[in-house]
Amino acid sequence: MPNDHLAVQDFTDRSGQQAAPRHYGEALLAAARDDARIVALTADLTGPTETDLMRDAMPERFYQVGISEANMAGMAGGMARCGHIPFIHTFSVFATRRSYDQIAMQLAYPGLNAKIVGFIPGIDTLLGVSHQAIDDIALMRALPRMRVLEPAPGQVAHAVREALAYEGPVYLRLARKSGGNTASTYPEPVDGITEIRQGGDGLLLACGLMVPIAQQAAEQLAAQGIEVGVAAVTTLKPMSAKVLALAKATPVVVTVENHSIIGGLGTAVAELLAEEGVCVNFERVGLRDTFAYGGTTPYLMKTFGMDADAVVEAVLRQRRRFQAGASNAAKPRDSGNK
Amino acid sequence: MPHASQPPRAPFPATRDPAVLADIARYLRKQVVRMVARTGQGYVQQGLGAADIFTTLYFSELNLKPQEPAWEDRDRFILSTAHNTAIFYATLAARGLIDLALLDTYCEDGSPLEINASERLGPMIEATCGSLGQGLSVGAGMAAALGRAGRPGRVYVVLGDGELQEGQVWEAAMAAGNWRLDNLCLVIDANDMQVEGHVDQVQANEPLAAKWEAFGWRTQDIDGNDIAAIQAALRRARDERGQPHCIIARTLAGKGAPTLEGILGHNLRLPADIAARALDELDMQEA
Repeated sequence: MPNDHLAVQDFTDRSGQQAAPRHYGEALLAAARDDARIVALTADLTGPTETDLMRDAMPERFYQVGISEANMAGMAGGMARCGHIPFIHTFSVFATRRSYDQIAMQLAYPGLNAKIVGFIPGIDTLLGVSHQAIDDIALMRALPRMRVLEPAPGQVAHAVREALAYEGPVYLRLARKSGGNTASTYPEPVDGITEIRQGGDGLLLACGLMVPIAQQAAEQLAAQGIEVGVAAVTTLKPMSAKVLALAKATPVVVTVENHSIIGGLGTAVAELLAEEGVCVNFERVGLRDTFAYGGTTPYLMKTFGMDADAVVEAVLRQRRRFQAGASNAAKPRDSGNK
Repeated sequence: MPHASQPPRAPFPATRDPAVLADIARYLRKQVVRMVARTGQGYVQQGLGAADIFTTLYFSELNLKPQEPAWEDRDRFILSTAHNTAIFYATLAARGLIDLALLDTYCEDGSPLEINASERLGPMIEATCGSLGQGLSVGAGMAAALGRAGRPGRVYVVLGDGELQEGQVWEAAMAAGNWRLDNLCLVIDANDMQVEGHVDQVQANEPLAAKWEAFGWRTQDIDGNDIAAIQAALRRARDERGQPHCIIARTLAGKGAPTLEGILGHNLRLPADIAARALDELDMQEA
């Protein structure tokens, strides 16, 4: 017998907390108002990808494709070929792994003006290993013509504009709620970078919700008299030449990412520095070649060595090596690539 | 029209005359055999089987401007089974969409006529497929976009029957059916053939028509080597609105050259002597 006393609305959160802000949804809607070519597609995740704003404001430009990410990527290709600018939405892990071939062949290869928007970056979820996008940056970075953006808190609207400024495929990696200091917002990047803090003892390069964690680590280090710079890298591909300039001016570089240390920000920075002959004491903080599991974000960051304490340790370790006159090339660190 | 003693002068104009279309199909079959015979490679059985589908689509159905391949209001054609290129390129050349002389470079290093069609050839390749199962999604996206924009262009997609084993096909089938994309027409080239043999031995797919109907498609099951039947089915698909259309076109591998007919070989090599015999058989049909 159907329940006629209660409705879904009766089961919503009554804690009185304000709903998460929908900066992305608002930015997409604003962009869509400016450009009639923009359409939004979602694979049964309208609310969590904030596309309900688009759905409600311009339903004729919103497509619910159901739980079919591969088809969504292919349809976006067809739409882009007919003059639309499709934004496709789902969780990061499904947006990349589940439809990789379709993105490669139907969006990246033809270089179409389509945007792939993934939410739940890295291990930032209770939902566990199936929903954790630990390799999405690596996958998207490997595709020719694809650009990869991961804004820090407060930079989402800029990232949407940045994605639209490039007439080609872009992967936009977004978080709804930051696992770090949710109050933090950062100024808009210039040339793919926001310099947040200066310091001559080292450099932290972070992306996404790891930016506030890196900033927290820098504050902890400052309390010990060690001044490190912090920069948010919002354009992960192509990597900004500014990264090179910043790295040349410091003895220690530590990358901080909510992703596997293989193929993401740390890899991209290492590639750049190595090819440009910049020799620094270098370490990647991120998921160290392991799968994770579900949990609250602070718990997971601590457990998997991705919290501010882990960043502080990495900096101290590399400073010691620098002070001992060692370089990465001369003496590989034992725990480097477990 | 093409004749054995008088080399045909392609490109040919569009026509609705089934007898002329039959002549063009025979010409295209000979082109397929010649193209594949050059190196022995290039999907001869599929090409001969699908010649009537390609002929009818390109010469009788698709609204195209050969001089302006990217014309905005053209009908779109997507070959999801992108390896079936001998017949595809032969058709494009015969319709004036690519240079006839290019056919002599088929599958040669550096040629844009790769064994799998790629859009680096030009705008007449509407999407780069070949990774099977993707073409219908792209076609559905095109149909949705053209429909929303009020454009008259229709979208035609050719899938193979073996390709229907890809799950993405059914994702696209569901979306197009739900959205009633009646400017989308799917032609399934049902030649019973995939890499490891007969489709039914690998993964049986019947009842095919019932499956597409269940997904919301108006479905016709026809002889895919009967040009008049293909014409009629395409006309019905164009005229009847409200649903996407699926035409299951039953084709015979190697059709037109008795030496090759019915041999289910996905990646058949074509030795010169057998190619010569097949060409003789096709010539004899003209007499």
